[in-house]
This record gives sequence, structure tokens and C-alpha cells, in this order.
Amino acid sequence: MNWKKAVSVLLISAMTLSMAACGNSGTNTGATSGGGNDSAVDSTEGGSAAASGEKLVVWTLSNDLIDFGERFQEQTGVQVETVVIEPANYPTKVQTALLGGETEPDIIVGEPKMLEDFYDAGFFEDLNQAPYNAQDYADQIVDYVWEVGQDSEGIQRAISYQITPAGIYYRRDIAKEVFGTDDPDEIGQLFKDYPTILQTAQTLKDAGYRIFSSDAEMNVFSGDSAWVVDGVLNVDQARYDYMDLCVDLYQGDLTAYASQWSTPWYQAMAGEVPILTADIQSSVDDSVNVWDATEFAEATEGMEKTTVFAFGLPAWGVLTMRDNVGETSGLWGVCAGPAYGFDGGTYIGISSQSERKDVAWEFVKFCTLNEDTADWWIEFSQGDTVSLKSALEKHKDDENQIYGGQKLYEFWLEQAEGIDTSKVTRYDQAIGDAWGNAISAVKTGEKTKEEAVNEFYDVIESTYPDITVNRE
Amino acid sequence: MSTFDKVKKTVLYVLLILLAVVCMVPFLLTLVNATRSGNEIVTSFTLIPSTHLKENWETVFQFFNLFKGMWNSIKVAVPATLLTAYFSAMTAYGLAMYKFRGNKVLFMGIVIFMMIPGQLSLIGFYNLCTKLHLVNSYLPLIIPAIAAPGTVFFLRQYILSVLPPSLIEAARIDGASEIYSFHRIVLPIMSPGIATMSIMAFIGNWNNYLLPMIILNKNEKFTLPVMMATLKASTDIQRNQGAIYLAVAISIIPILIVFCFCSKYIISSISAGSVKE
Repeated sequence: MNWKKAVSVLLISAMTLSMAACGNSGTNTGATSGGGNDSAVDSTEGGSAAASGEKLVVWTLSNDLIDFGERFQEQTGVQVETVVIEPANYPTKVQTALLGGETEPDIIVGEPKMLEDFYDAGFFEDLNQAPYNAQDYADQIVDYVWEVGQDSEGIQRAISYQITPAGIYYRRDIAKEVFGTDDPDEIGQLFKDYPTILQTAQTLKDAGYRIFSSDAEMNVFSGDSAWVVDGVLNVDQARYDYMDLCVDLYQGDLTAYASQWSTPWYQAMAGEVPILTADIQSSVDDSVNVWDATEFAEATEGMEKTTVFAFGLPAWGVLTMRDNVGETSGLWGVCAGPAYGFDGGTYIGISSQSERKDVAWEFVKFCTLNEDTADWWIEFSQGDTVSLKSALEKHKDDENQIYGGQKLYEFWLEQAEGIDTSKVTRYDQAIGDAWGNAISAVKTGEKTKEEAVNEFYDVIESTYPDITVNRE
Repeated sequence: MSTFDKVKKTVLYVLLILLAVVCMVPFLLTLVNATRSGNEIVTSFTLIPSTHLKENWETVFQFFNLFKGMWNSIKVAVPATLLTAYFSAMTAYGLAMYKFRGNKVLFMGIVIFMMIPGQLSLIGFYNLCTKLHLVNSYLPLIIPAIAAPGTVFFLRQYILSVLPPSLIEAARIDGASEIYSFHRIVLPIMSPGIATMSIMAFIGNWNNYLLPMIILNKNEKFTLPVMMATLKASTDIQRNQGAIYLAVAISIIPILIVFCFCSKYIISSISAGSVKE
């Protein structure tokens, strides 16, 4: 009897629920059309284009474009629908949809590491052809951004609104005390090459400071040439030099032994941190929990404390530092690193399957080539660096108080001008990570240099069978 | 003997408590971190709640309406779970109880299909959905749930072990139709197994990320996991850490409810027997 009841209840609930589900889809269409009405109201408020009912769908991987989209909608009345997809899965989403023949997205974006695949698959519209004629705008955008937006044949496919050159963020007060100056040019000299960096590190250590929090700070500057040239893995001397630098920094006890992006690494931005020994950081000895602040403070109480001198980050590090510097705000400065480098950036292009390419081109121009937008973005993002030359020119006297009133836009423009984009390949992320692992293995003494490099070759061979690996 | 028992019990309890703590701490951490700011989360670790719950709440809702996402997820997960449970039970019953030509082959087929990862057919599936105008609809997420090889496999083994053929024979002699005896006799006896698989299916559907992310292109249609992933797309990831934890904390509530409901059901039905030998 009980069972009958239970079963009938189950079945009835199953039925009602499935009906409810059907009902839902009904109400849902209602809701969507309701949404349509809302936006119709919005765009009528917005302006004249509402009557034509123009619409634009943006698929992006960073929230920036939501704000750009809203502003575009305000100014033109075109209804912008921005769909944000997590960066890790963005390529999967775009590839599946566009190869599946999806025409919905008008604007698609990409980070440098994804762009080459997108170009080859033909996802981006050719912007050099009429009516876009993007080549006419070439001199308005910082050169390296313009080049990253081109496919292997030099056809413009995408443009970014930001530049992301790398720089070294250093403590001005420490610089004055140890080196007698806090001038970015002179401090930059202390980072001009790897031997000098090691020397600087030693000087700082003798003065009771540490040069870096982690030993991976120079990563953004490393490498003289591309990882893969004509299908052949290319490990140039600069990569080995960088490996040696990391190993020397680590084994010479010159850093605070934090891992990049870990808790102690962030803490080092705000001031004094204990010097972790190599043992604490290694996972073999977990007697001290580096993630627990209280326990960490107790365990490291007797340990020597130090203040970290510098961090190596791209231009968007301005924002990361801003959120973490705490009381050291105003004591920072930014100078050039041992080489030019860049990391990240969102590149905007038109989907080749879009049915609203005219509006989409307006949007691309709005985001990247419009000085008014650039002005607004500089203010709105509180310090992001735009790619439009005229805006950088205009803001070159802007002083950033967190960095002791340094004029950052001028500096980033200089750094961006030296960037060599031929170094960018689609393999950078994977190969860079593998090389990083090899460096870790060497510096901790887990493997010899030869073993680690050989394993690195093995990893690359198995990950990318199409790359030829010439072992040295 | 009694002291030995005590020792045994103590050891067992200590072990179980340890296990419970290990299971609970991540949940607790999620809840605590939901009340902390992104800066606090990246710079320290503690189990003491902080005061940023409201900020995190606002951050989450500034990006999307969490409850809308939850409702969307329910709209996908509940029908999909019911379909999986009902049709898998029916298939499993058919495979286990009826003798027909090709039974073994069919079953082998199902086992083989169990091993093919769904991601392989992603582009083709999307293409199919475009042709059928099912992109941005929940149907491609719900209907395929009818075919759940893993559940069928499990339930078939389950039926073989709990359902004596004599029971069905008795029902037939009493004049019950096949579908009647399935609904009235087989389903109740199988319910513990079905409940177990339903929990799995519900959690699977609730947490399903890849397929909804591919199929759904509209913000207002996103299911919860897809919505939460967009928090990671922010330029200011660090600031959103607390918000991500809050969203996760809220999103596990339905799973907990379903689990409580279903696990009670399992326990109560395990003791219910059907045939006295």
C-alpha cells in the first residue's frame, strides 16, 4: 500500500514536473520577449537607431567589453548583447559554435595565445578589405598591438584597445636607501641584463632586502626568439640564461622564496614579509602551512623578515598592485626590464559569419580607435593602458599617485614600442609552462639541468607531435 | 572483551570523525570564504568568517541574477533526472528480465557506448542543434538524458540482484499487464537503486558545464555553472574571489536538499523486502 502511494506520488510529481517544465519553456519565451520589450524601451531612450532595431552580439572573455557595450548602446542606440565566457573555455565555445555554422556572434575576441588558431580557422573577418579598410588606421594604434592583430599573411583580423607591455615595479624608498636614487631610468640600469640583476640582488640582500618575492619575476621578459620557428622547437640561449638566472636567484638565497600569485607573494606587495626557506616552500616538508596567516606568522616568528624590492608584471599589473599595496601606496615606481615583453590583452574582431558586419565594425572602431572612448576607459578602469596613440599622448602627463606620481602612460608607450611580435606563437602557453616546470626541477635540485631539459623535450614531443624537436 | 570492544569502537569513531572533518572542511571553507573579501582570501587563510558577505552578494548580483541561474538549472536538471531515472529503469528491466534475440548484443552496445566521451561529438552535436533550431533551448540538454548508458548498466545489475523473476511471474498469473507490473512492482523494488542513480544524475546535470556553455548563447538562459564561470572572466579576478565562493556556496544548497531527500529514501527502502524465501 505504502509503495503504491509512493509510486503514484512519484509518477504524479514526475508528470506535473515535466508539465511544469513545458510550462516553463512557455513562460520563458514570454520572459524573453519581455526582455526584448525592455531593451526596446531602453534603446528608445537611448536614441534614434531604436526604430531600425539594430542589434549586436558580443562574445567575450573579459568583463571589459560589457562596459564598452553599454557605452556603445548609450551613444548609438544599437542594442548590445554581451555574453561573457570564462577564458579557459572561450576557445572551445567559439570553435564549436563557429564550426557548427553559428551566425549569432558579431564580435568575437581573443588573447594573443588563441589568436593564431582563430586566424587559421578563418573565424575573424578580413578587416583590410572594403568597407573596413583597416590599414588606413594603422598609424593610430601602438605598432605591436596592430601586428599581433594580423594573421600570418599580414591581413588585419583583430585590434586591441589595450597594450600590455611588461615593466618592473620597484620600491622607491628602498631604491633611494640602497642605490641613492629612485629615478626609473637609473633603476632600470640595475635590471639591464641577467648578470646585473644578480649583482643588484646581492647588493639588496647585503642591505637586508630581497630583490624579488619569487624567482619567476623576469619570465615576462625572457626569450629572444619564438618558441617554434618553422615547425621546429627553438630553445635559444636567452631561455637557458633565464633558467640560470632563476636557479641562481633561488640557490643564491636572493629571493623571498614565494611562488608567483601565492599568498606570501601578494603579501610582499604591502610590506615586510618573512623570508621563507626553500624547505618551507617545497611540498615535501609541510610542517608550516603557508596558507594559514596565523599559523604562518607563528611559525615564521623567529625568522628573518625582509622587504621585497621589485615585481615584474605587465601593464595590467598597475591594477593588481593598486589592490594589494596597502600602506606602501605611493612608494612604488616602474622601470624597464632587461628586455621588452608583453603578456595578455584582449583583441576584438568581427566574426566572419556575422550577419551584421557593418554595426560590428562600428563597434570595433568604437572600442579601439575612438579617442573619446579611450579617455573614458582610462578613467573608468582606473589605470588600464589603452592602445590608441593619441590618447596615450594626451594622457602622458597623467600622474599615478600609487607610483609616486610617475607618468605611466608615457612609460608604457616607450616599452610597447620595443616589443617584437614575431615571438608570439600559439604554443607559448604550453611550452612556457613546460619550461617553467623544468626550471623548478633544476633550481630545487630535483633534477640536473640535462635531465630537466630532456624531460622538457619529451613533454613537447608528446604534446605537439607536429613540432620537430632537435635535441642538443 | 568489553574493553577490546570499547577500544575498537573508539578507534572506529575517531576514524569516522576524522573522515567527517575531512569531508566537511572544504564546505566550511567555502562558506567562510563567501564572507571574505578577495584580498583577504588571497593573502590569508582562516576559518573565522569576515564581514564582506554583503559586498560579495552585491558583486555576484551585479554580474547576474543567481536565482535566475538556479531556476534555469532546475529547469534542466529536474526533467533530465526524471527522464534518466524512468527510462533507464525501463531499459534495465527489459534487458534484465526479458529473453530476446540480441539482448546480449544490445547490452554490450550500451556498455561500449558508456566508454565514449561525450566531448568527442561536440561540434557535430552543435551542428545538429543549429539545424534543428535547438541552440539556446534547454531541450538538447534534457532529451539526451533519456539515454544514460551508465545508469542502465548499473540498474540492470541491480535488478538482477534484487528482483526475483518469480515475482513478475506471479503478477502475470494474476493477470497484470507488462507495463502495469513494471510500474507497480518493479519500480518500487528498484527504487533504492533508482534513487542512488538519480542523485548521481541530478548532481551531474546540476554541475554540467561544458554542454550548456556550448549550447546556450544568451545570458538570461545560462545555467548556474555557466553563470558562475563568468565571474572568473573578470579583469579583476582577485576582487571576485569572495563572490565566486558565495555563488558556489549558494549553488550547492539544492544538491544538499536533493541529497538529504534521496538518501532518506534509500535508507528507508533498503530495509523493505519483497519476497520471503
